[in-house]
Amino acid sequence: MLKAGPAKKVSIYVGEDHQHHGHSDYSAILDFLFYRGVSGANVMRGVAGFGADHHMHTTRIEVLTGNLPMKIEFIESPEKIEELLPKLHEMVGTGMIEVQDTNVVKPSEISKKRAPQTFTPPLRREGKAKLMRIFIGENDKWHDKPLHKALVESMRANDIAGVTVYQGILGYGANRRIHKEGTLHLSHDRPVMLSVVDTEEKLRSFFPILDGMVQQGLVVLSDVDVIKYTHNYREEERRKEVRQ
Amino acid sequence: MRLEGKAKMLRIHFGEDDKWKDKPLYRAIIEKCRELDIAGATVFRGIEGYGASTLIHRSHLLSFSSDAPIMVSVIDSEDKVRTLIPYLDEMVDEGLIAMSEVEVIKYVHQDGARS
Repeated sequence: MLKAGPAKKVSIYVGEDHQHHGHSDYSAILDFLFYRGVSGANVMRGVAGFGADHHMHTTRIEVLTGNLPMKIEFIESPEKIEELLPKLHEMVGTGMIEVQDTNVVKPSEISKKRAPQTFTPPLRREGKAKLMRIFIGENDKWHDKPLHKALVESMRANDIAGVTVYQGILGYGANRRIHKEGTLHLSHDRPVMLSVVDTEEKLRSFFPILDGMVQQGLVVLSDVDVIKYTHNYREEERRKEVRQ
Repeated sequence: MRLEGKAKMLRIHFGEDDKWKDKPLYRAIIEKCRELDIAGATVFRGIEGYGASTLIHRSHLLSFSSDAPIMVSVIDSEDKVRTLIPYLDEMVDEGLIAMSEVEVIKYVHQDGARS
């Protein structure tokens, strides 16, 4: 939690159209900051601006550009910023990051406390890893957001190698309530399973966060051998081109 | 109910059209699990697959007959899971049952409304 006293203010400038793994860059950065436990952050949309490429981005209709300048701002302790900068560097792409000294006179009052993340090596291409399965209900919420969605976002922000959400059609769990697909009524509470693969250290470092988010459900861990873990960069380039 | 430490996960694979006493087999299995007080069970429907019969199971969008692959995953202590196996033997005519070891990290439930 941010205390009164010296701190650092970070401003990140990106374009509204900038993408990060298929999401808009600013919202990916905001999610990252959120799930990394930053005490607060703001996104502001500029009305006009230009950057390194000297393209003028404005709201004027005749120009028909959606790529307005976006500024993400947050204030944190120098240590925290040190910890976040490498990933932010990777996320901003062609954007700009600026850090300046500031002084917190009065910190904001309520903020979420989270266990600091320790860096662990990424999933190796082959070898022993762990598979974590999380069983929850489709209607479970976390901060008014579907829990399975929040979990995926939070895992992404914490650099977990990969996660898939499965929707079941029938099931029951700790609360003895049958979750099922309701064809005739609008309330759906189907069982949902998230399957997460990463190294044991990575998954264990995620447990405190998981603990705070999963209020009811089952979490199990088992051994797996990773045979292949690759990413098709060419495919991504192609998708980017299609968007432009 | 408590569940912690080492446990077993049972996965039962069969087709959506499989029946047990005129009832979908997956529903019959879930009911049996509840009857035996097994900690939890979930049914998943696959998109495509094949199994022992090498018949491709696929859900058809345009026809009413859909024989999608079904997987039921059951987790409990080894003793509890083993009480279920004789029943499964009888109920699952065609399919696959696999058991693996899992470590329970969390098994919780809150009383009252789901938050």
